[in-house]
Amino acid sequence: MAQIRLKNVSKRWNKFVGVDNFNLDIADQEFLVLLGPSGCGKTTTMRMIAGLEEITEGEIWIGERMVNKLEPKDRDISMVFQSYGLYPNMTVYENIRFPLKVRRIPQDQHHERVMKAAAMVELEPFLERRPAALSGGQRQRVALARAIVREPNAFLMDEPLSNLDAKLRVSTRAQIKNLHHALKTTTIYVTHDQIEAMTLADRVVVMNKGLVQQVGTPMEIYDRPANTFVASFIGSPAMNLVSGSIENGVFTSDGIRIEGLPHRASGAVTLGFRAEDANLAEANGQIEAPIYTVELLGEATMLSMRVAGELVSIKVGKDYRAEIGDLARIAIPASACHIFDQSTGARIEA
Amino acid sequence: MSEAMAHKRPALLNTFIYDFIVLWVILAAVPFLWTVWGSFKVEADFFSRESWWNAIFGTATMRETGAAFTGDGYYGAWITRDFWKAAFNTIIVTICVTTISLTLGTLGGYALARSGKNYAFWILIAALVFRAMPHITLVSGYLLPFFQLNIWGVLPTSIIVLVAINQPFTLWMLHSFFLSIPKDLDESAMVDGCTRFQAFRLVIMPVMWPGVVTTGLFSFLLGYNDFAVTAMLLSAENQTMVPKISSFLGSIQETGNVMFAVAAVVSATVPLFILVLFFQRQIVSGLTAGAVKG
Repeated sequence: MAQIRLKNVSKRWNKFVGVDNFNLDIADQEFLVLLGPSGCGKTTTMRMIAGLEEITEGEIWIGERMVNKLEPKDRDISMVFQSYGLYPNMTVYENIRFPLKVRRIPQDQHHERVMKAAAMVELEPFLERRPAALSGGQRQRVALARAIVREPNAFLMDEPLSNLDAKLRVSTRAQIKNLHHALKTTTIYVTHDQIEAMTLADRVVVMNKGLVQQVGTPMEIYDRPANTFVASFIGSPAMNLVSGSIENGVFTSDGIRIEGLPHRASGAVTLGFRAEDANLAEANGQIEAPIYTVELLGEATMLSMRVAGELVSIKVGKDYRAEIGDLARIAIPASACHIFDQSTGARIEA
Repeated sequence: MSEAMAHKRPALLNTFIYDFIVLWVILAAVPFLWTVWGSFKVEADFFSRESWWNAIFGTATMRETGAAFTGDGYYGAWITRDFWKAAFNTIIVTICVTTISLTLGTLGGYALARSGKNYAFWILIAALVFRAMPHITLVSGYLLPFFQLNIWGVLPTSIIVLVAINQPFTLWMLHSFFLSIPKDLDESAMVDGCTRFQAFRLVIMPVMWPGVVTTGLFSFLLGYNDFAVTAMLLSAENQTMVPKISSFLGSIQETGNVMFAVAAVVSATVPLFILVLFFQRQIVSGLTAGAVKG
């Protein structure tokens, strides 16, 4: 068990910047998710913590030790790879046992610990099989068992669910959450899937182009995105972003007018609101526009309409029916609006 | 599937296909079978000027030895002319060449496959250039220094030269085998507690066996079949099998015994058959797994 600290960590390949000045304290027992689109530097950050990638600048501390110069094996962490990284020539039992074997942990403990780890991920029936004879989900569970068998300082997981089908992803996700609850080991989890981030994390780090965009709990990130990138990356559908101008707390743009907004902002801004925060208006709505499409989701109906040149999504009741081209009036409460600077994309606080 | 397809093909095409295969097998196998058969005859039969039927019926063999088959060729080659010594030398040379090539090749191929550096590519290109050169160009350059250093004619010198000639190929072949093994495997092992070398030894090598066997076989064949290097760099008493066979054929100064050569050729070929049959599964999986083919 340990806390992990990253101080001014950067990674560069010649002129290409992979990770730029990353600072973070990860608390003991925390479940931290690194979230971002591909190429944002999240995996590089994790690989630097694991010791698989050299650190160009900065320091990484695990517990009381600076680990910059330590080999991966000396950092006492375990890692789950996207492609599982199972040893094809060994049985499941031997795979799980391998870390104990190479670390010279007394032989008499091996069997008990392997069986315990296998039991935690429900692998007992498959111990004598080789990885080639397992399904994707079973392979991922072997990788998990191999990671937990050693009881390391921290777990690193690099997109562990992305090779699984949708259904298996949900159940394995639950299993990972449960494992973390049982073992209470510091975990760093890399993903590009915002739902995984929201469901698993104590805290989420949103990254883009090597830079940290926002650090916060899933709710903070969802409710108060620090900039337009985070706003458009988190949530399904993504937050609606409309550019326009604001004056004396009134936001106006083509087909949209919202009053009662904070007075601090003025001039050209980007206004954001979530599909589920908007509603059908009784009389005068904030948006009045023809409907572009109607999508039935089952539990709700998703309308999209063109506002200020952008398609915005509005989530309405499941019984709502309308034709494409009908005029719809939409109410958006001012309290549900987010205002971002148009040039920097940064959030403007109320 | 193939059966279903065979049924759909017109009968004439089928006949043609099978005839062609049979013809091809005969063309490939007959010269060897002919040599094996002939090696048990005397020269007057096998190289008969009257009729090639003599080689089949052994007319002269009957006359000279009293039986249709004779082991005289083998006796002469192996005992009288010390072919056993050449065979022994060949064993030493091939074992050494294969072992050294594979040791350097697996280590080097692994390093080059996992190195992200630019120079790894240029090392491989340089290796390719040396591989492309005819062996004899290297050997002629070696002769004078080897005489002066007084290391000409002995087995270790030939072994080193053969390893040098073989290494680029071994490196290329093993390099592409290592590339086909995902990097995640080494990284898993290193996070699990291995050093780089332990990851190589405990995790990567067990997966590499088909590649090692295939590359090893090619190294073995190079050492076994080499003529240019061993003929030029070995003294008469240290000769391996192939130059020895050539010396049985005689030269301008001395007359050879062709039947000794024939018997020796058969003796030298049989182990190859056994070897390929024994390792055929690994070789096939190795050839299909790796990108480079022999």
